[in-house]
Amino acid sequence: MDFTFSPEHIALRRMIREFAENEVAPIAAEIDRDHQVPMETMRKLGQVGLLGVCFPQEYGGMGAGEMGYCILMEEINRVCTSTGTNVGAHIGIGAMAIYLDGNDEQKRRYLIPLARGEQFAAFGLTESGAGSDAAAIRTRAVREGDSWILDGGKVFITNGGYADVVTVMAVTDPALGARGGITAFIVETDWEGFKVAREEDKMGIRGTSTAELVFEELRVPHENVLGKVGEGFVTFMKSLDMGRLTLGAACIGGAEMALESAVRWAKTRRQFGAELASKQAIQWKIADIATELEALRSLVYRVAWLVDTGQPFGQLAAMCKLYGSEVASRAIDIALQIHGGLGFSRDFPLERGFRDARIGEIYEGTSEVQRIVIASNIFREHGVRIRP
Amino acid sequence: MDFTFSEEQEMFRAMFRDFSAKEIAPQAEELDHEEKPALGALRKAAQQGFLGATLPEEYFGAELDYTSYAMLIETLAADSVSTAVTLATHVSLVAMSILNHGTPEQREEWLPLLAAGEVIGAFALTEPDAGSDVQAVATRATPDGDQVTLDGVKTWVANGEIAGLFLVFAQGAEGMDAYLVPQDTPGLTVGYREPTLGLRSATFNTLYLEGCRVSEANRLGQPGEGGSIAQQAQDRMAVALAAAGLGVSENAIQVAAQYATERVQFGVPIAQKQAIQGYIAEAKIEVEALRYLVYHAAWLVDQRGDYGFDASVVKAFGARVARSVTNRMVQVMGGYGYMEDYPMARKYRDARALHIIGGPTELHDFQIAQRIFADLDMDIAP
Amino acid sequence: MRIIVILGRVLDPSGIVVKGSAGRIFVNREEYLIQPADACALEAALRIKDGMAAEVVALPRSPLPDDDILRQAIARGADRAIYLTGPALKAADEAAMTGVLTAAIERLGGADLVLIGSTTLDTGQGQLGLRLAEALGGAQITGAWQVSSADGQVQAVLQRNGRYVAVEADPPVVVTLLPGALKLRYPDGVRLINVYRGVGEVGDALEAWDAADLVDEAALTPLVESRGKEFAPERERGVRASGTPAEMAQAAADALRQRMRR
Repeated sequence: MDFTFSPEHIALRRMIREFAENEVAPIAAEIDRDHQVPMETMRKLGQVGLLGVCFPQEYGGMGAGEMGYCILMEEINRVCTSTGTNVGAHIGIGAMAIYLDGNDEQKRRYLIPLARGEQFAAFGLTESGAGSDAAAIRTRAVREGDSWILDGGKVFITNGGYADVVTVMAVTDPALGARGGITAFIVETDWEGFKVAREEDKMGIRGTSTAELVFEELRVPHENVLGKVGEGFVTFMKSLDMGRLTLGAACIGGAEMALESAVRWAKTRRQFGAELASKQAIQWKIADIATELEALRSLVYRVAWLVDTGQPFGQLAAMCKLYGSEVASRAIDIALQIHGGLGFSRDFPLERGFRDARIGEIYEGTSEVQRIVIASNIFREHGVRIRP
Repeated sequence: MDFTFSEEQEMFRAMFRDFSAKEIAPQAEELDHEEKPALGALRKAAQQGFLGATLPEEYFGAELDYTSYAMLIETLAADSVSTAVTLATHVSLVAMSILNHGTPEQREEWLPLLAAGEVIGAFALTEPDAGSDVQAVATRATPDGDQVTLDGVKTWVANGEIAGLFLVFAQGAEGMDAYLVPQDTPGLTVGYREPTLGLRSATFNTLYLEGCRVSEANRLGQPGEGGSIAQQAQDRMAVALAAAGLGVSENAIQVAAQYATERVQFGVPIAQKQAIQGYIAEAKIEVEALRYLVYHAAWLVDQRGDYGFDASVVKAFGARVARSVTNRMVQVMGGYGYMEDYPMARKYRDARALHIIGGPTELHDFQIAQRIFADLDMDIAP
Repeated sequence: MRIIVILGRVLDPSGIVVKGSAGRIFVNREEYLIQPADACALEAALRIKDGMAAEVVALPRSPLPDDDILRQAIARGADRAIYLTGPALKAADEAAMTGVLTAAIERLGGADLVLIGSTTLDTGQGQLGLRLAEALGGAQITGAWQVSSADGQVQAVLQRNGRYVAVEADPPVVVTLLPGALKLRYPDGVRLINVYRGVGEVGDALEAWDAADLVDEAALTPLVESRGKEFAPERERGVRASGTPAEMAQAAADALRQRMRR
């Protein structure tokens, strides 16, 4: 066993930290306040190669693997969850679906500009009636000669408001359902019939776009079918597995930020004649965050290693997301409490962190869905098939 | 023991519900997003007598017992925790301090105005370096003939921006003093309003006192009695805040349970899922435990004994319940719980305040432990 | 055009906590950065390369325990970097380094332009640029804000007495850059990964040369011999103000005024 990061990953972390502190941290409060997606920062991330961090160099990527991608998510989320979410939706599920199941032609055409940040991607799965129950989608795709005609819509699509490319899951054979009846499509957002219907007003991650998309007689050429017809559900589930891992990595960043600020404040703030750091009620809280953070860090980077070495990881990825989001929420809650009134004020970053962290247990599969995934994997090994 | 409410109390509850549904609920969402205090609703509340809820009739109060008053706070908080906290600050912290410690003249002068809502009360205790540690208050009261000059900075002054009367705590010659300072007193400046995570339609301001001169007749209670006045006020407020926690939690369960009957996933309403049932059931158990703790503490307030211990217990528990219940109810609603178009996100943000305002939970935990160890003849320090 | 950039390293100050009351420095994170003024020199070199055909080669300003900052330079756009090693180099001071660097530059085929930071964060001596100019027999421009090259000449902008002065010199020229003059660009992701892996286009951009092959041992003898011990200077304590905000502001203003008078 070897638990050290390779020199290139150490150098990559330093590069990302330098970028995050100079380019992302200074705008974090502002994009939250103004509900603005930081487009310029996103493009800069692409220019230095970071948006292709995990894709092969032949497709415009950096080739730093899932390990590199987890480092990116940790470091960006350490300073700004909104930017981290934009990056995650773009790389981790949007472009990832094309990387995992796209053919060479599709990768050249779409993945290269996505990896360079010349275009942005979104992942079109959730519908108003199909959240946790992804198989319940109703967007239809009907074959018409060399094309497919898409009708329907998606909700809560991260990056939906500004993406150039959306991977969309649609029903191609209602009789077959999730097993063979769902197909993934690569959709360009300037095609006729594609519409952004509205932007959501969210409690946190306000520097992101969460949009409702509408498709009306949207014509998609057959060559834009992603993977095989009828196997869309598998494509999307594979992307989601990757996404779950990197959300765990994102939570390391959030929890780190919380711990650092809690420690800083506890050694500064004096009450009853001594630093807060001298109070056991505070010490215990800090010890708990630090312990959970280390456990999470070990879990996430172990799973990244599994991915990079081609081993199965789906079950553990669900655990990364489940545990990570809960650790990050607890950490930020504790940090806020240690700050007292200042934690409650929007003039300090903890307030934003608190609102931002809450989405972790909800998006890309709620904690409940992760528990279903984990439990059904365990029971399957014992010959029991459980339904959600 | 008798756990039933009197007919009168049941009648009050119906009245509070009716008022809250008509006057508070419709605007709560908008006022929160615009971060405006519910001034219109406060005026209407004054007409109903709610701004003098616990004051005697001779001062034009509604003369409610504290349990009925706790019900009022609970009911308002179900629709808007901000408005509940605004009203509780006015009644529990300011008006009742004057009622309990004021001279006949002070009561005559201020209580009718407070009851009528012509003057809103604000409570100025916290300072930048004196949060939980009240003894660290650095604002000074310097005597000057029959006048007193107040100098210092107060932070997180609840109702600061809308208040006509400030109850200000300052260090005098014999310890902490309390002063009634009208808003138009020269040298008093209401400053920066804290932009907050939750309670966005309540106002918390910085208050500057620079050579602010008031008559010695404005001192509430005896010299050096300020610490005791503040503690009693905070004990009353602790019960009110716990009642607010009860209200917001009950309502969150209602909203989320309703959603669970309508939201279909995996072919059935999610109310059919055991995980969701568990969330709702656990939340309900906590709420019921809190409910009787709140009413018991409120009843103790009326018994006029020392209920500081019970106030700490109910406040700490109320904050925990409100936080954990709203957190789980957000989870029941999934993505919809995170959207500001639905009320759950606001309830979640508001509930978080209860761990902080009125003394952080850590302080109440300490006070509870302090009492337990004192009974064992052991003195503990925070 | 061949541009040589001389780089040093410094402990990242953001990883350090200075605790006055304990009289100690705590190193939380031991990471090294390119010296800030040297980073400006590297950026100046890369900007010239952006606009014309040029080769940028990075060399160390002092003996380095590892080649990390040289890989960093390549990741950020330098074409080559030479890691100077060898036991002989261990005690090298500015004089000895001047000899080694001059020999290295000669082996590289000479330089049209040498860029280096005017000062370092740790010692702040700023000797090396001047010594190199002397040894290379070229012109020197010290304390530049900007450097460019056109018509076979080197142009620079200096600040003198509150005004900017544009100067020009024939190659070879040594230019020292002021800290903060230019913001060093970020590494390119692909170059970064590849230079640390030693693969791809930048796979062999980093070479290690033994100093003993460049100069004889006598040239490496330091000029300065250390005698006596090191000690920290006496420092005054700060002023702690208390009282009302107005009194505290007054106390702070008085303290500042007194300090300015001295």
